[in-house]
Amino acid sequence: MRRRFCRELVTLLFSVLAAAAAAHEQKEAVTTVLFNERTGNVEVMHRFLLHDVEHASKKLFGAQADLLKTPGDREKFADYVFETFSLQDESGTPITLTAVGSEIESRFLWVYAEAPINKDWRGVNLKHGALIDLWPDQANLINVERGGVTRSAVLSGGQREVLISFDD
Amino acid sequence: MTRTVFSLLVAAFLTLTLPSHAIEQTKGTFKDKFRQLDEDLPTPNSYRTAGGDVGHEYWQQKVDYDIDVRLIEDQRRIVGTERVRYTNNSPDTLRFLWLQLDQNRFRPDSIAERSLLFADPSRRGPQVEDAADGKAPRISIDELRRQQFLDDHELGFVLSSVRDGSGDLPFTVVDANMRIDLRKPIRPGQSATFEVDFAFNIVEENTIVARAGYEHFPDDAREGGNDIFLLAQWFPRLHAYTDYEGWTNKPFLGRGEFTLEFGDYTVDITVPADHIVSSTGTLKNPADVLTEEQRYRLAQAKTADKPVFVVTPEEALANEAEGTTEQKTWRYEAKNVRDFAWASSRKFMWDAQGYQQGGDVQPTVMAMSFYPKEGEPLWSKYSTAAVIHTMKVYSRYSFDYPYPIAQSVNGPVGGMEYPMITFNGPRTELQDDGDRTYSLAEKRYLLGVVIHEVGHIYFPMIVNSDERQWTWMDEGLNSFLDAMAGWEWDPEIPWDNQPRDIVDYMKSDVQVPIMTQSDSVLRLGPNAYGKPAAALMILRETILGRELFDFAFREYSRRWRFKRPTPADFFRTMEEASGVDLDWFWRGWFYTTDHVDISIDRIWKLRLDTLNPDIDYDRRRQENADKPASVIVDRNAKDGKTWVEQNPDIRDFYDENDRFTVTNKERNEYQLFLADLEDWERATVERAVAEDKHYYVLQFTNHGGLVMPILLQLTYADGGTERLDLPAEIWRRYPDRVKKLIVTDRELTQVVVDPNWETADTDVENNHFPRRIVPSRIEMFKTPDREGFERRDIIQDMKTELESEKSDEEKTGDPE
Repeated sequence: MRRRFCRELVTLLFSVLAAAAAAHEQKEAVTTVLFNERTGNVEVMHRFLLHDVEHASKKLFGAQADLLKTPGDREKFADYVFETFSLQDESGTPITLTAVGSEIESRFLWVYAEAPINKDWRGVNLKHGALIDLWPDQANLINVERGGVTRSAVLSGGQREVLISFDD
Repeated sequence: MTRTVFSLLVAAFLTLTLPSHAIEQTKGTFKDKFRQLDEDLPTPNSYRTAGGDVGHEYWQQKVDYDIDVRLIEDQRRIVGTERVRYTNNSPDTLRFLWLQLDQNRFRPDSIAERSLLFADPSRRGPQVEDAADGKAPRISIDELRRQQFLDDHELGFVLSSVRDGSGDLPFTVVDANMRIDLRKPIRPGQSATFEVDFAFNIVEENTIVARAGYEHFPDDAREGGNDIFLLAQWFPRLHAYTDYEGWTNKPFLGRGEFTLEFGDYTVDITVPADHIVSSTGTLKNPADVLTEEQRYRLAQAKTADKPVFVVTPEEALANEAEGTTEQKTWRYEAKNVRDFAWASSRKFMWDAQGYQQGGDVQPTVMAMSFYPKEGEPLWSKYSTAAVIHTMKVYSRYSFDYPYPIAQSVNGPVGGMEYPMITFNGPRTELQDDGDRTYSLAEKRYLLGVVIHEVGHIYFPMIVNSDERQWTWMDEGLNSFLDAMAGWEWDPEIPWDNQPRDIVDYMKSDVQVPIMTQSDSVLRLGPNAYGKPAAALMILRETILGRELFDFAFREYSRRWRFKRPTPADFFRTMEEASGVDLDWFWRGWFYTTDHVDISIDRIWKLRLDTLNPDIDYDRRRQENADKPASVIVDRNAKDGKTWVEQNPDIRDFYDENDRFTVTNKERNEYQLFLADLEDWERATVERAVAEDKHYYVLQFTNHGGLVMPILLQLTYADGGTERLDLPAEIWRRYPDRVKKLIVTDRELTQVVVDPNWETADTDVENNHFPRRIVPSRIEMFKTPDREGFERRDIIQDMKTELESEKSDEEKTGDPE
């Protein structure tokens, strides 16, 4: 028991970064899960603030990481997002996401993935630990958009998983 | 002799109850989006007018402080005595006073600490994780560090004496508040004076996340390292006593910030002699604490055109390597401020530049920055420059900066504001080669945070809104203005808070109205910063226009400068000064969680019937010909000739004249019709026939609920385009769906709603008629031939060798 407790603790062993605090706005990442009828895919589009990603990359990949200068570091961060985000159907069966890529646009880093839509899904379960593992203020807004209806959740250190049902 | 009274543990609850009004729609589904706000706003009175102005009997209290404070560096402890003079300008007699003991928030028995939720997404502090995925809840090392810090340190104010000239005064501590019972009541217009001896242990900011505290630098050359101390909420401060709430009794829970009274301060700050102090106020004894050289540099800085080092990097480095047992006292005076904060460290370098503001209020302002080597070379380049830029822009939107000093101090706090002084967090990275470098994003962070925090000196440090109640009143207004200042600094930098940036938040179903008390807001960032800032941008650029908006905003700033506005005062002033009814806008954006999603559903094309058979019958013939031919006829034609074709000799009248042929019977009827018309009717018809304009009926649906102007871009067959804005009032009787007639000389080919993304419309696909496929981001990403200079990775591509050079080399190179 003790060993297990320690190991779990160690998985969270990151020191607090100088988080944007107090009167400065607290930042959020946004993940859109779009059921795109046109392409037949469920599209996962993560939007991170570049400044957050930069700090995170230094923490994750070492002090020299530079998202703007080194495309490899951007890919490393995208891989980190793929590892820390997953999608299941309402019964918990994993939905295999295919990585599509990542790009920087204005002050955001976007990371993309997708999977074919299965008509039988009655909902999606999301697990999202990206950046949440790193610092306390991180909150990830999830918007699941399907047939013109948006259902949302905020995931954070407190809650990293949410089931969003399509049934009203 | 502190008595503590516990109040009940109150968990933050977020139940939203709908306001119940005397007037209700009890049949049908009509929603009055334009219902005037006056029944929801507080009743105007002699303190606050119906127009949002300062009333003729407006009053506010005045609290003057004379404080001696000592930083005991090795204990990281503050010890002080404050002499407070409280002037009662209210019409009420006060028998007791309430003070804020913000440091008590860190006590284990505080309401803040006891009501802290486990795994609350809104918490600012170390990480913990709720049970999920079959795993037990977990806490992080950082949370353990926080718990241990709270265990190991006695936190909160220690009050050793509260007294007036005649002896001790009884006082009662209620969580983070303290009541002092006065020896005799303070009647209207009278003052009372009392003294408090206080002390507390300073928290480590990075452990506790507290808006202030110390940061330790263990690797400095000095044995034991050094600290930067940021001191805020560091003395017992009088609560506000207001015309709208009486005493503020909401305890400090760590989120809703402060509401305070203006007053004059004299503060003597005693620190180790090698420390450099930055503080609210003007330094009154420079000869006691600065060298002659430093005083000379400060004088030079006043008229310099770029920042001048008062303490150079080399001097700061020498300072932080040593240490002293000597003490020095820095004396500061500040007039008409609502708070007082300071910073102290032997690590600080210090630069200064006089900002020649002009005008009568404060012709010269000293802009200054204080930072350790860990902020270089970013800070010396941009901090003081950003302080000056902020004043230039903000003053244009509001009023001249009224204080002699404006400062930016680097320490462990990400960003926080106080009168004349701000704490800002950006740092640089020490590289292996000894250089300190920073990324573009860190540079943007510094510019953004310095502008934002210095901007707060205007809102709410001067326009003194109640932060405990309404975070948006300072953060929203300030986020709007910091973006304005940002665009004026460098338009190449993508600044925050444009309407398009708030779309994801506004369409989400996890949000609360902006008009929610600060401690209860879910997702404070987009709620109190981003959404109100975007709303103000829309108000300025789209609804009122710059001229009306700027006049009204300046008027609000002018009216409430050094006074205490409420949301109603802002709403009323903006409406009254612009002369535009904005109740629908405040109601939609600030009182609801509706979003903007206006679609153009369909367009009917109409053409005027002339009633002249020679015109209309021909049009009918053409319409008939335009219909697709019958597939039966088409296919039969391939199979062989029809009976008619096989018998060409048998013809009659109807083979030569179709069913649209006009006879004199119709012509006579038309003449009769014309003869029956009044002269004006005939003229109208004749003109309409002659002009033969195009008539279109456009149908719009409001999917998001928020009523907004419908901004139209009309494209015509001749390639021309035209902008047509339909005001929000178009929705007043039918807030869900409306139709609009457009009469034009030209044929319409395309209509786009909100073509420039000005209104935060969440679904742009339904903004196009005819519908246009708006690809998702992933679809866009997969498009192979995307162009645009922004997508080039120039930094990487720059390393590419020039082909011609290489081939030249290959040509001349010896292939051995």
